[in-house]
Amino acid sequence: MDAGLLEQMLLGALLGLSVYLPLRCGQLSLATPGFFAIGGTVAALLSTREPALAGSGSTYPITSVLLEMAIAAMLTGVLAMGLGRVVLRLRGIYLAIATIALVEILRVVTLNLEFTGGALGIFGIPQPFDSAAGYASFTLALLALICWLCDRLEKTRPGRAMAAIRDDDLAAASQGINTADTKLLAFVLSALVAGITGVVAAHFFNSWNAKLGNFDASITTLAFVVFGGSRTWLGPVFGGLLLTALPELLRPVGDLRLIVFGVVILVGPLFFPQGVVTPELLKTLKRRIRLPPTPTAQGGKP
Amino acid sequence: METLLQVLFNGLSVGAVYALFALGYTLVFSVLGVINFAHGAIFTLGAYFTYLLIGGAVGANGLLAGLQLPFALPFWLALPLAGVAAAALALMVERIAFRPLRDRGSDPLLALITSLGAGVILVNLIQLLVGAESYSIPVGTLGSLPAALSIAGAKVRSVQVILLAIAGLLLAALSLWIDGSRSGKALQAVSEDPITAQLLGINSTRMIQIAFGISGFLAGMTGGLVGLSVSIAGPYFGIGYGLKGLGVLVLGGLGSVPGAVLGGLIIGLAEACVPADLSGYKDAVSFGLLFLVLLIRPQGLLGRPQSSKV
Amino acid sequence: MSLLQVENLGVRFGGLQALKSVDLEVQQGEIFGLLGPNGAGKTTLFNVISGLTAASSGSVRWRGACLDGLSSHRIARLGIARTFQNLRLFSSMSCLENVLVGLHQHGRQPSLAALLQTHSFRRREAQLHQQALELLALFQLEASSHQNAASLSYGDRRRLEMARALASRPQLLLLDEPAAGMNPAEKDELQELIRRIRNKFKLTVLIIEHHVPLMLGLCDRLAVLNFGQRIALGSPEQVRRDPAVIEAYLGVGA
Repeated sequence: MDAGLLEQMLLGALLGLSVYLPLRCGQLSLATPGFFAIGGTVAALLSTREPALAGSGSTYPITSVLLEMAIAAMLTGVLAMGLGRVVLRLRGIYLAIATIALVEILRVVTLNLEFTGGALGIFGIPQPFDSAAGYASFTLALLALICWLCDRLEKTRPGRAMAAIRDDDLAAASQGINTADTKLLAFVLSALVAGITGVVAAHFFNSWNAKLGNFDASITTLAFVVFGGSRTWLGPVFGGLLLTALPELLRPVGDLRLIVFGVVILVGPLFFPQGVVTPELLKTLKRRIRLPPTPTAQGGKP
Repeated sequence: METLLQVLFNGLSVGAVYALFALGYTLVFSVLGVINFAHGAIFTLGAYFTYLLIGGAVGANGLLAGLQLPFALPFWLALPLAGVAAAALALMVERIAFRPLRDRGSDPLLALITSLGAGVILVNLIQLLVGAESYSIPVGTLGSLPAALSIAGAKVRSVQVILLAIAGLLLAALSLWIDGSRSGKALQAVSEDPITAQLLGINSTRMIQIAFGISGFLAGMTGGLVGLSVSIAGPYFGIGYGLKGLGVLVLGGLGSVPGAVLGGLIIGLAEACVPADLSGYKDAVSFGLLFLVLLIRPQGLLGRPQSSKV
Repeated sequence: MSLLQVENLGVRFGGLQALKSVDLEVQQGEIFGLLGPNGAGKTTLFNVISGLTAASSGSVRWRGACLDGLSSHRIARLGIARTFQNLRLFSSMSCLENVLVGLHQHGRQPSLAALLQTHSFRRREAQLHQQALELLALFQLEASSHQNAASLSYGDRRRLEMARALASRPQLLLLDEPAAGMNPAEKDELQELIRRIRNKFKLTVLIIEHHVPLMLGLCDRLAVLNFGQRIALGSPEQVRRDPAVIEAYLGVGA
């Protein structure tokens, strides 16, 4: 497979995870492209304007990329903490629209500011890798790390609290769960993932402009999660990989590709209302792989 | 220098478009509790229908290159016909993107995605058929009207006057229908409590279709009007309006008809008041306004507070 | 000092006075019943105690300290747990997971240990699972521990909600119509079960229930609410003979 496409798919999976985190807690936040744009802008600005980061070799040092990621994470984290306190009081579709408004405000401001390059954006972002394969391996490692963190989160106390809030936040509060803090945690984690992903994307795309964080992106990333499934981290990863690849894989059908893409996201939820990847599916798969087809002691409930 | 009256007029005509857009969302939201993301695409198609019906020719880039209807209707006839076509399209969207989910009792959130899928299909279908170039509806189709009218010393484009007049007419007709007619009352009942309404003998599937039909009609007409007063800027031009319409919808309060009108006018006027040298920030002004209102009044200006029963 | 004091409590929703100067004192260890027709304000009283509804006037005291303005998770952490009249289970989770959420406040572990799955982390998680299973066993739900909560029978769901509430190790348990939807045999068992958990966990129980025989047999003391006001208070025998109660239930002249 083309490494460049693979890299885009991996970025899609990361953005899917960013939308998934608040959604797992029942919060429909569409702020991901905004934090993604902030991460990208931070990387673009630092790597093109800060000579100290450029290093002496022919390629841009990876340590500098890591430093940009740390700075982007700090910035998006602090911002999400402040904004989250305010917007997470809204529910359902109101939260979704308030986050869309945030993303739009950010986009318009980036578009009009001098130092972010206006509508054209920032060009010539230095390359830490000399091939798309280099990017893909770096991003794969990042994705693996974040998946692992999500997996741990799901299987431990805060993850259980998130799932409980999603099912019924009043009942969750009555079990002693601080629902406001738990929602904020999910929102901040989502922002961190998006911000870090933006840093990698800015280097990979080589240029950065305000268009990369717009309303379309909000909805596409949401489609990753709804299509893939929002009850386990594997869902958004699957959805992000597949739906990013789909328009490219459909290139042979030419102009029809976006129409086919539309058909897929139209039909997907009809056949997989919980998303394609669900915890039940995973359980079934596990059982198929691990256990011989004999009745087990546990499954004997009438 | 623009006079205050001109600013007011610009604001009102943009605001009226937003209000009509938000009303389309609101009608569907009030019966189903979800946002129809294909609404922008239906608006866009309404504009293209109008263009074709007045006898406009398709450019060179689509599958339908060079197509022109054998007749040319006057604008005042083409516009409602485009509205009807858009309504038919909205019914189709309901049939393929909403009803299957409802039949299966799925999470309403999924309709956001399925309707988005329908929107993506429609927009790309337009691109495939008529290309990505922009089209404009010549003012000549209106008959022999002067390009601008002089009202109290201010020059106002006559297309804006027409847009405002038709928008006002549509808004008035809609509120009359909702408050005065049997089906309008039934629609309110379904939005209050779908199950009870069903028990009282209201056919909620029928009401949902009516809501989609009217919202599609409004979207189609609005598309034609915007096509006339601005231009049809390619297959994606509905998205920006759709987004603004969402903002207006929430600003006014979900499910509230007067709220949608009020929200539309507020945002339209606020945008018109942005001075020319800061016009790049126009969109930020409207969304900033929306954001502030949500923080102070989470249910929107005229919406009812949300509460959950224990 | 009594465990829970409700003082002159009033709640107003717009034009509706849901509760009007209600006074109650619940003593440590007792099973205290709330009776009253539908709409009398019983659930509203529960909602105020558990922090879901704000009082318009008066106050609720827990061991002498005022609970006003505390959010519901704080109140839960003080040792007040509840069930809900219309069942609010976590419907996407298994029975076991529901109870594990109930153990939330007692399951705190260092984040690093959780990430690295250290030995002590896994031992503690195993302990939590064990506790959850024991609670399920107490309510005869151990066989369905991996079953989805939404797939249980109505009576089982009621019992699961009680198990989840107990998981937070409360001192006061608020039960909102625990017998609703249960068959007569289940109702008889329920009475026994509530007594048993009261003794085993040294609980105080405040219970709302319409099934009068169950309430008279189970409760140490009862209060009767009607139209938001307390119209009677006392032992089951006293309440049963109270003319105001007879009137509220059967109408004037009965």
